[in-house]
Amino acid sequence: MNHPALPENFAFLAPFVATWGDLHTQDERYRRRQELPQGELEAFHAALAPRLEEVFTHLDQFDPQALPEAEALLFRVVLGLTEASQAVEIFGQPRVPYAPFPHSVAMEWVGYQPH
Amino acid sequence: MANLSEHMTKARDMGLDNGRVPVEYYTSADYFRREQDMIFRRAWLMVGRVDEVPEPGDYIVRDLPTLKASVVIARGKDGKVRAFHNACSHRGVALVCQERGNAMTFRCPYHAWVYRIDGSLSAIPAEQDFPHVDKATSGLAPIHLDSWAGFIFLNFAQEPEATLPQFLAGLDQMLEGAPFEQFPFCIRVTDEIDCNWKNLVNAFNEGYHVAILHSKTLRPAVVPKENPHLHYLDVKHFGPHSAGTVQRNFDYNPQAPALTWVYAQMLPTSAPDIAAIEEGRAGFYEHPGINRLKIPNFGTETITIFPNISIQPLANGYLFYQFWPINEGRMRTEVRIYSRHAPRTLREEYAMASTLAATRDVVVEDMAMSRLQQIGFESGGKTHQQFGQNEPLLRMFTRDYEAYLQGKGMGQP
Ligand code: FES
Ligand SMILES: [Fe+2]
Repeated sequence: MNHPALPENFAFLAPFVATWGDLHTQDERYRRRQELPQGELEAFHAALAPRLEEVFTHLDQFDPQALPEAEALLFRVVLGLTEASQAVEIFGQPRVPYAPFPHSVAMEWVGYQPH
Repeated sequence: MANLSEHMTKARDMGLDNGRVPVEYYTSADYFRREQDMIFRRAWLMVGRVDEVPEPGDYIVRDLPTLKASVVIARGKDGKVRAFHNACSHRGVALVCQERGNAMTFRCPYHAWVYRIDGSLSAIPAEQDFPHVDKATSGLAPIHLDSWAGFIFLNFAQEPEATLPQFLAGLDQMLEGAPFEQFPFCIRVTDEIDCNWKNLVNAFNEGYHVAILHSKTLRPAVVPKENPHLHYLDVKHFGPHSAGTVQRNFDYNPQAPALTWVYAQMLPTSAPDIAAIEEGRAGFYEHPGINRLKIPNFGTETITIFPNISIQPLANGYLFYQFWPINEGRMRTEVRIYSRHAPRTLREEYAMASTLAATRDVVVEDMAMSRLQQIGFESGGKTHQQFGQNEPLLRMFTRDYEAYLQGKGMGQP
């Protein structure tokens, strides 16, 4: 899939765009996390977690409801960390122990369209 | 707290000696049918919040898998909230097909019979061919509805055996004025899994498993040194409903970088806001019915409303869990995470998505274990499961469950 470029200064996330950049819901991110090897989740976490503040300092400049394409892509990639960090910081493995696999959960933000 | 163990309510303190409970309750189709008739068609069932339909004409559709009911909840022009079966009086079609919306009429997509927002029938095309239909009595079939603290309850009986306040039996008074309405924004998490619904009810009624099953998720944040099995404190009961105080670990100080960043943006629903507590503006913390012991490391008051609800008021919102049987071996869990407002920035959206993932993973742990439990039950080697002295609410639920199945439970002798 063709992606717009990430914003300047965030090229370090380019290796993770193919994995996380096309996902649009929390459930898609949850499922992606379950199917990735722990090593990949760790590499993503290592690259991004220490730089979250830098990413959001950049995103702060934009209207959340009208993100330019590059920033929208950046935010989608970054939201992948909400799932990857569960695997890396909490469980030490991609899946919730004993849970069925693949496991899907419906999550609805009532009255708000998340990215 | 001078002596915490004094407040660890044991089953014997509540006169509950039913420590062995038949597995059959959890595996038999016959029990499920009795639950449908004797519990779910008799008890008041919570189905939503009045603020889901704030304006006249607002409606939502809810399906209740246990009763295979499709329900329309709508606020009329007169401001009154009503509930109806979503079934056309002509030939039965579930005519309201959107999950929510605003309308003054509902038009059936099959032959265009039209209903007003109050459920009454307003128009029949080619009406001359239905001389036998009395329009005045052919509206959508109503379902008894009442509300408490902004929560909508339905009762599917022809005539409810008890009013909603009678049913709530004092729980409503203890929580009178609790500030649920301060947390209007909600994320709903829904999943179905192969287990009996009571496995989940039980999982939310004891803290015994928290340090073990939730060793990586909840334990560090919740289990304090002085109460390693997270015994519920100060258990209160109101008819079949209950509340118990649960501590948390105030020493918890996450160091992992992503989680630390989230805490700096917006505290998770469950994390105590120390500044707010000190200033007396910490939502539920101030309510006299919550944390009656005034324990300093208060976590939540876990409130169980019979038959299938658990509510946990927390520092920055509350969690609402509901467990619907689909049959004896399958159930639907619905979790709602309520907070003060929708995300206002991308930082808040990230923080709330992260809290959502963390909250969901805890429930996934409970559901995963409940599924393994069901596999064990169905294997057939055990006729009973054991409820300890430290699981008083499981014994209490079982006692009231048995009473309901026998036609009692709602205030009858
Ligand atoms: S079934 Fe609704 S109009 Fe015929
Ligand atoms: Fe649990």
